[in-house]
Amino acid sequence: MIGPVAKTLLLALPGLSFLVVFLFMPLVSIVIFSFWRTESYELIADWNIDNYATLFSDVTYLTFLVRSLVMATAVTLTSLLYAWPVAYLIAKHGGRYRLVLILLTAAPFLTGEILRVTALQQILGPIGLINMALGHFGLAPIRALMYSNVASWIGLTYLWMPFMVLAIYLSLLNFDFQLMEVAKVNGARVWRAFFEVAWPLNMAGTVIGCVLVFIPTLGSSLTSQFLGGPNGALYGNILAHQFGATGTWAFGSAMGVLLFAVSLAVTLVLARAVRDFRRAGITIKEG
Amino acid sequence: MTNDVTRRGVLKSAAAATAAGIVGAAFPAPYIRNAEAATLELRWLGWEHYNVRPIVEGFERQYGVRVSAGFFDGNSEAYNKLRGGGTDDFDLVMADGFWPRLYARQGLTQAVDYGKIANMNAVFDDFKAPNYMLLLDDAGETPIAAPNCWGGYGFTVNMDRVDDADARSVGLLFNEKYAGHLSTSARFEENIALAGILAAHQLGTKDAARPDGKSFNPYVLTDAELARAKELLIKQKGLLLTRWNDEDTLERLLRAQAVWASPEWSGIYRRIHFDRLDGTSNLNMIHVLKPEEGGLGWVDTWCITTGVTDSETLELAHKWIDWRLSADNMAIVATDVGWSPTVDVRDRIPERYVETLFLNNTAAIRGLYQFDAPSSPEKWERVWSEVEAA
Repeated sequence: MIGPVAKTLLLALPGLSFLVVFLFMPLVSIVIFSFWRTESYELIADWNIDNYATLFSDVTYLTFLVRSLVMATAVTLTSLLYAWPVAYLIAKHGGRYRLVLILLTAAPFLTGEILRVTALQQILGPIGLINMALGHFGLAPIRALMYSNVASWIGLTYLWMPFMVLAIYLSLLNFDFQLMEVAKVNGARVWRAFFEVAWPLNMAGTVIGCVLVFIPTLGSSLTSQFLGGPNGALYGNILAHQFGATGTWAFGSAMGVLLFAVSLAVTLVLARAVRDFRRAGITIKEG
Repeated sequence: MTNDVTRRGVLKSAAAATAAGIVGAAFPAPYIRNAEAATLELRWLGWEHYNVRPIVEGFERQYGVRVSAGFFDGNSEAYNKLRGGGTDDFDLVMADGFWPRLYARQGLTQAVDYGKIANMNAVFDDFKAPNYMLLLDDAGETPIAAPNCWGGYGFTVNMDRVDDADARSVGLLFNEKYAGHLSTSARFEENIALAGILAAHQLGTKDAARPDGKSFNPYVLTDAELARAKELLIKQKGLLLTRWNDEDTLERLLRAQAVWASPEWSGIYRRIHFDRLDGTSNLNMIHVLKPEEGGLGWVDTWCITTGVTDSETLELAHKWIDWRLSADNMAIVATDVGWSPTVDVRDRIPERYVETLFLNNTAAIRGLYQFDAPSSPEKWERVWSEVEAA
């Protein structure tokens, strides 16, 4: 007969093993590499902090980080604005088609990322659907849509928004919509009822959605590579470059560690928004 | 006879299978060598477009072996793979420009025996020593690679949009007159190298004595040239529509006349030019193989890795190179893949290919700066990041 502690450990073993092998070990290795140096594509175990000194003192790399933070914030806010009404509509009025409708929001995931980005190129690019249509009517093309940060923003929003919709939808499944009616009966206008009832009670789902959109956007590279144009390089692009063409693995590892630290910090900050779990919509059985 | 499945029948079969499994486990059968496993396998690492099915299948049939391939996008990626233990994973690796010498210097590849490659005789003299020395080691004595295809990294220019006086200069890619209609690839090495050629030309250092005592190489730039190249590249950003990642994108942009000039491998130019010859396009494109200030070029090659230690695989690796160099197979590469062979196949392919693959002008390779590894990848990475951040 195994004891409760052993039983808990046994249950936790698969999850723990996964974390150790796929998160902890790679993380440790990039932390180690980040204190080494690269010379002509060769990784040299020469312990130093030069990579971090460059990273924090050279405005070049901080520029990419700021660009990515701004992009991730913009994409998260846009997704939030779009996802709430969609998730609300599906959860409240979807009826027996709720599952089908929520699955439809994830339909783009049935294709690969490259295919989705390429499809966006066909819509936003200089010879894309929008600009060709404008040209057909004798109008000038919209330059902001062609290989620009705006194009990357649209692309990244399109790419990650389904996660936001899903997180908010799952939260709304446990939400009692009658509370909104109660608020309105007691004199609250629609917006006030939303911000004082629906929003705080679904804060956990909203925060999870924000994390699920913000973190991948922060490290993304493919979308900006294809849609971003000459001024569209993000932190992820330069990070990928270190492990590809330039072969500067040590510096790339330092960049990776910084990205991880920033992602962790953002997650912790967002988690603080859910201080009161009950008010955030999470119910825990007492006693 | 009936095919009814009965419960009794299923139980009997399951019991028989279980018994057979137990007996099998208790008394294992003698080891019988798998015929598949006995087949010799040749593994090559190269550019994916060279994985031409009829050529590979023909070789497999001819020699009763299996061929497998791994792919990369650029030399530095292949180099990183080999440095990371790839010499045990691949018997042959493709490399161009100065890269075969780097591989040999690093002990990643071994000598190639031209005596075992009969088709070396059919290679144009322009791609053999003493005209082309990069197939030999640093001492210029031992062959370390066999040639495959060659080409440049010239510019495809829309002559209806670009003035004739501007079309043949590297300066075209930095000319404000064509702002918003220029493009370059996303390859950082070649972008810096092309800017480096223009920078050295402007600084007057290209034909002057070099610090290393060698002739000018755009991949070995002085700090002053590199700084000037960075300035040019930062200025160029405002003129570019995009940096293309794939040829399809560039071809669409060139055909739609959204882009008027861009460096490319000449394949897009050829396709558009053929359409013009066929009367399906009226675009007036030229391809400038060697711009006035100098251009980039490459001869890609087959090298044998040092992971090949047994004579059987070494022999097979040479046979593979010989097979690839045969005129029949090179003609397939020329017409189906669209790269210019280093073997004379002019009598086997249509004239339009001969012309656009520059097969009547193979001597042009001598005037092109060969692809190389940046003298300091770390320094070049910094420059490129600064350009991207600017």
